[in-house]
Amino acid sequence: MIEVSHLTKRYGVNIALDDVSFSVEEGSVVGFLGPNGAGKSTTMNIITGYLSASEGEVTIGGYNTIENPNEAKKLIGYLPEQPPLYVDMTVKEYLNFMYDLKKATLPREKHLEEICKLAKIDNVYTRLVGNLSKGYRQRVGIAQALIGNPPVLILDEPTVGLDPKQIIEIRNLIKSLGRNHTVILSSHILSEVQAVCKRVLVINKGRLVADGTADQLAHNLSTDHRLIARIDGPENELVHAIRTLDHVVDAVSYGEKEPNVYEIAIEADENYDIRRNLFALLARKGWPMLSLRNTELTLEEVFLRLTSGEDPNYFNKSKKGGQKS
Amino acid sequence: MIAIAKRDFKSYFSSPIGYVCVAVVLAFFGYFYYQVLVAGMSSLIGRVYSIMFTWCMMVIPIITMRSFSEDRKNKTDQALITAPVSVTGIVVGKFLAAFGVFALIILGSVIPCVFISFFGSPNWSIILGNAVASLLYGAAMVSIGLFISSLTTSQVIAAIGSFAIAIFLMIIDTLSSTIDNAFVTKLVNWISFNKRYSSFTQGLFSISNIVFFLSVAAVFIFLTARKLESRRWS
Repeated sequence: MIEVSHLTKRYGVNIALDDVSFSVEEGSVVGFLGPNGAGKSTTMNIITGYLSASEGEVTIGGYNTIENPNEAKKLIGYLPEQPPLYVDMTVKEYLNFMYDLKKATLPREKHLEEICKLAKIDNVYTRLVGNLSKGYRQRVGIAQALIGNPPVLILDEPTVGLDPKQIIEIRNLIKSLGRNHTVILSSHILSEVQAVCKRVLVINKGRLVADGTADQLAHNLSTDHRLIARIDGPENELVHAIRTLDHVVDAVSYGEKEPNVYEIAIEADENYDIRRNLFALLARKGWPMLSLRNTELTLEEVFLRLTSGEDPNYFNKSKKGGQKS
Repeated sequence: MIAIAKRDFKSYFSSPIGYVCVAVVLAFFGYFYYQVLVAGMSSLIGRVYSIMFTWCMMVIPIITMRSFSEDRKNKTDQALITAPVSVTGIVVGKFLAAFGVFALIILGSVIPCVFISFFGSPNWSIILGNAVASLLYGAAMVSIGLFISSLTTSQVIAAIGSFAIAIFLMIIDTLSSTIDNAFVTKLVNWISFNKRYSSFTQGLFSISNIVFFLSVAAVFIFLTARKLESRRWS
């Protein structure tokens, strides 16, 4: 449904986007993730035709955004970072204006009523946009994007400024829209992307650095041969005993987490599962193991790792802390 | 296009700006009708309009100053540009709204003549000629104001910029008398809004002047559209 190929956007010598390509199939919800200034909004602005790319092109439902801008734009509902609201109009006037502007053809009254119900703004329908709170403005922005029932929705940080209850409502709304719309939403809230999107695109410094499901991303970057165990026993002896185990590369204590219970990070040879040996060792020594988990990264850690030059390795980072204690 | 024109026109009157502009200029019209017709004992309606030329010049920058700058500042231009409307459509919509306010003023300026016609027989062809001339001149000036407004996000700068051009076009006549160069004099006379306008107030309906004002309007609408378009590329 959306084809983005080799997008580059230059502002003078600054490169905001550098050869970004991806495609989104019909009926999928894609999360666009990146730190501030990574190029999320620029990409969205180019897809929606607000900006033009220095190089590359975008096709929406078969229409090139440069050659057939009006056809392409008809397919898109766009919520920019700052909702484009006229503060001197009432919600009703504003939505009617957007209805005319978008040349929507659905039955006006009924369509607007449905949208207001979806976005939960029917109780402020006759109020001035300028007098609405940020959360309501955001919802009017979402409502505006839904006018004309466009098959593609581009939402730039749709839940900014909403309270936790509204965030959940909007997420559910986006999820339900995802069933029969193609949705791209940007966010720097990772849990949001994880909750709503099947697929995640990570962008950093204008480059696409990852593309896959949240679980895939976490799995690819995580290291299964690293474990973290909580063990009831004497710290130094524990570390020493584990180090002498076959296939163990290193073991480090993170310090005492509960009375007389230490957290030990264990790094084993790659492709070797040391969990059984570890259990046997601890059982032999009479040190009860209270928990064992691998260091599979959360999306947050994946994100940090992808978007920062340094390697925010959980293992190494904690090592320093462990040595201190 | 029509949607934008409707919205913008309404927005002039959802804030005091539209009312103030219309009221102030009409008040001046009323005063000069009195001055010329009653105090001056004259029947030359054209004189009213030629005096009002300056005041119209002053009010147009106020009408146009917010057209594009406000949209850009509030980021509402994102809604307009990402809608299935061409940039020329957006500019023409905005032009119609601003021009509509000005047309309302000119329409109002004819009211005194309607009352006069109850008691006498004013020369309607001259009155309408003057009104049409004002509209033509207004169209040109509104499109220039829109263009200036599209250059900046600040309404104040937009207004001052348009004032500067309006005043420049007004005083350009005096330039022609100071410069001793046949070509420059000819050029200045050709550009002069004042000269072309005043020929209308004398009752001369010249096609070339009509074409001139309409062309200026078209050129600046075109330039404004190009300006909007170019912003996407920068």
